[in-house]
Amino acid sequence: MSRLSSEVSVLGPATRVTGRVSGEGSLRVEGKVRGDIQISGDAEIAAAGNVEGNLTAASLDVSGTLLGDVVASGPVAIREGAVVRGDLRATEVSIEPGSRVSVRLMNDFELDLGPADAGAAAKRR
Amino acid sequence: MAGTVIGEGLSVEGDITSDEEVVVQGNLRGKLTSSDAVSIGPSSVVQADIAGQSVSIAGQVTGDITAPERVDIQAGGRLVGDVKAARFTIADGASFKGAVDMEV
Amino acid sequence: MSQSSIIGAGTVVRGNLEGEGSLEIYGRVEGDVSTTGEVLVGEGGAVLGDVTAAKISVSGAVQGDLRGSEAVLLERGAKVVGDLSAPRVGIANGALVRGSVRTEGEPAPAAKRAAGPGLKPATFAAKPVAKTEPKPPALSRVSEPLEAAAPARPKEKAPERRPPPPVLPSLGKGAKGKKKKDRDE
Repeated sequence: MSRLSSEVSVLGPATRVTGRVSGEGSLRVEGKVRGDIQISGDAEIAAAGNVEGNLTAASLDVSGTLLGDVVASGPVAIREGAVVRGDLRATEVSIEPGSRVSVRLMNDFELDLGPADAGAAAKRR
Repeated sequence: MAGTVIGEGLSVEGDITSDEEVVVQGNLRGKLTSSDAVSIGPSSVVQADIAGQSVSIAGQVTGDITAPERVDIQAGGRLVGDVKAARFTIADGASFKGAVDMEV
Repeated sequence: MSQSSIIGAGTVVRGNLEGEGSLEIYGRVEGDVSTTGEVLVGEGGAVLGDVTAAKISVSGAVQGDLRGSEAVLLERGAKVVGDLSAPRVGIANGALVRGSVRTEGEPAPAAKRAAGPGLKPATFAAKPVAKTEPKPPALSRVSEPLEAAAPARPKEKAPERRPPPPVLPSLGKGAKGKKKKDRDE
């Protein structure tokens, strides 16, 4: 069910990694990781997955637990049931209701609230 | 069907413990312990002690290997380290340097 | 029995809005908004100030904090700079947010109640700047006041499984598990 790119590594539900995971390719975490993850591809933390550490990836899809900072060159999706804490930097972050988050979103964009004396948008009569 | 697969481009620095099958095609430096089968693929470079129910080595491993059932070094595989297992095979074309204890 | 209020697209409000009903904002509000009902910041709407309500939905722009005692939902097109807190938070694909988001811990306090029905601006120096009167483009739901009449009655049920806030260790920056919480699979 994962939408990951061709080379996919999997840390199964009965597996625990203490240390750093890095390199090329995508990763689905169904087990536990205590340590940083830095990969070129997509990261997915399945519902049973539990990661304590910083994560850098092309994109991130979380249904499990992630405690740590995230830097993604693409989108981050936090699904229902996920538990996420940390700073998130991504092109886009979506957070589904039913997730439990305490995150700081550090997206760069311009907030243009328009000139002070105009009504919003061009909805004049 | 393997529970855990460390793909070819991935490196792990640290310990991996598992209760399922582990297939390593990437690199590992640290320690690998599983209660199930462990398989080190041809593209792997591993510096770690490995413990598994059975361990199959087709890549390059430096470390001690312990498996109650069996250890097999495949053709093209290379192991520098000690082996402790009930059965042990070294294929033609494999390399091995170390001590062997077959729990006789 | 509260009512719906609407800040139309051509309207600018400078001052705080406080009340018990629900509020739809398509114009511009420079000030804090506080209600026991729902607040909708529609597409094209802008709020410079904090919004406190039972449920807050945003498709427009907000510079300020959003505190929902039930939920805060940002739809595609929303642009928010500020902190979000509510037991339920949704940020759709295409919404842009900069700030902190919390669904854990205490839910946002319910908005304080002002006397009287409907929305009563506290310090209000509203100038309907443009020629239009506060009338939204084409909004049928306006006609019926929203059901969140009684202040303490949640309009929608909180999701069934709302576990108590977990006692998570407070980690700094992605510590390498310096405090582990044991989760047995």
